[in-house]
Amino acid sequence: MIVTAQNLCKTYGTNKAVDGANFAIDRGEIAAVLGPNGAGKTTTLEMLLGLRAPTAGVAKLFDADPRDVTVRRRLGATPQQSSFPETLRVREIAEFVAAQYPKPANVDSTLGAFDLDALARRQAGGLSGGQQRRLALAIAFIGNPELIVLDEPTTGLDVEARRRVWAYLREYAAAGGTVLMSTHYIEEAETLASRAIVFSGGRVVFDASPQALRSRIRTRRVLYDLDGECVDVVSSDADAVVRSLVNSAVPFRNLRITESSLEEALLTVTGGNV
Amino acid sequence: MNLFTIFCAHVRARLVELLRIPAFAVPTLLFPVLFFMMFAAPWARTRDAATGSMLSFVAFAVIGVTLFQFGVGVSAERAQPWERYLRTLPAPLLARFGARLICAMVFGALSAALVVLYATVRTPAMLAPDGWIELALFALIGGVPFVLFGLAIGYWADGRAALPIANILYLLLSFGGGLWMPPAYLPHVAQVISPYLPTRQFGELLWSVMGTRIPGHALEVLGLYAVVFGAIAVAGYRRDERVRYA
Repeated sequence: MIVTAQNLCKTYGTNKAVDGANFAIDRGEIAAVLGPNGAGKTTTLEMLLGLRAPTAGVAKLFDADPRDVTVRRRLGATPQQSSFPETLRVREIAEFVAAQYPKPANVDSTLGAFDLDALARRQAGGLSGGQQRRLALAIAFIGNPELIVLDEPTTGLDVEARRRVWAYLREYAAAGGTVLMSTHYIEEAETLASRAIVFSGGRVVFDASPQALRSRIRTRRVLYDLDGECVDVVSSDADAVVRSLVNSAVPFRNLRITESSLEEALLTVTGGNV
Repeated sequence: MNLFTIFCAHVRARLVELLRIPAFAVPTLLFPVLFFMMFAAPWARTRDAATGSMLSFVAFAVIGVTLFQFGVGVSAERAQPWERYLRTLPAPLLARFGARLICAMVFGALSAALVVLYATVRTPAMLAPDGWIELALFALIGGVPFVLFGLAIGYWADGRAALPIANILYLLLSFGGGLWMPPAYLPHVAQVISPYLPTRQFGELLWSVMGTRIPGHALEVLGLYAVVFGAIAVAGYRRDERVRYA
């Protein structure tokens, strides 16, 4: 297994941030960790990165202690918050990170993949928030790692940049890389991940494919216009809704039936918190 | 891939980073020589007086670099997400610390070299050839307790407090240690306290290079300070680890 969390617990004082999390991630998977704020996503990732020590349970990467140097040679990470030495240039930072790894990727092509080639000579202190985020992502890949751990990787990126990152992650996983990422964007999990691991209250409450998460609830949305306003009905039996609409001779227009969103599925499995 | 390459990458990154911050590089490198020019050089008429002053300002330069590199530097950086990120890299923590140490030595040597250069060119200050080697060695040894002093400040004071704390301690201890004027010219109260200050003992150690004075218990007192500051620094480091990485 590339990533193993076994009965993982982290307690701060009396607060159980992570309360017995179990999951394992295999090579080539893209696993998305979802859940409301304070569900224990970041703390779990930090224990897996060796940045925090579990109160109980086991956090392993490549079946070894994440604090082990040989493990970290196979790991790339982007923490939730990033900062850089302000006076170092983008390329210098990338080269500095590359120098720590035995077989780093090509610095220029990695910067290029994250649209940073034009900024290579810019000092990090002069980068915008989105540019900093792209640099934080690029340096996670620069060591040619087998596993990438990303904490909310695309927060602060515009739509286009986000899609480019997704494409890059997909390519990386297709080439045998493994991705463990937390996210607040459900679309991100749905379009990218092969696994959705949903946290709530420090526990894993759901762990399967995003499609399985969606089919967890069978509700449909029935939408129609009535007197110029859009009516939105969520029901577990859309057919019955339509039948009664037709029978009651309501002058509806523009009838639509859609699947409920992943967001609604998430609300169901976490008991109402997203 | 070896540790040496990683270490060099850390040293290079840090040196470039610091040299590009004028607010760090300029005062660190120039203050000691400027102070020497303004306050010491005009009175340094004999070889002994000039050489003594030069040695005092070498100590002043080394102390400044160590307090700012390790006190202000550690304090400002330990809270940064960058430090957290660095821990996910395969480099050992010691690479970062080692790089800081090397940079402090480079900047300390440069800052002291400017004092020496000005003193030997513009004042009668001069040492015997082996005196210079002795000076370099003593400056290195005497710098150790100040590195630990800096670390103690860096791990206990938060980012904004560290700079004024380091500044005040730097100036007060330098004055009280007799680095700006010979201890005999200090106000009476300062004269009483002076021998107990690490700055004074660092001065004594460097003045002994002239061969006209003996260092007394300088090494023992500095060693004692190193133990005390070291213990405070280690306690601060552990506290920081507990808060951020437990």
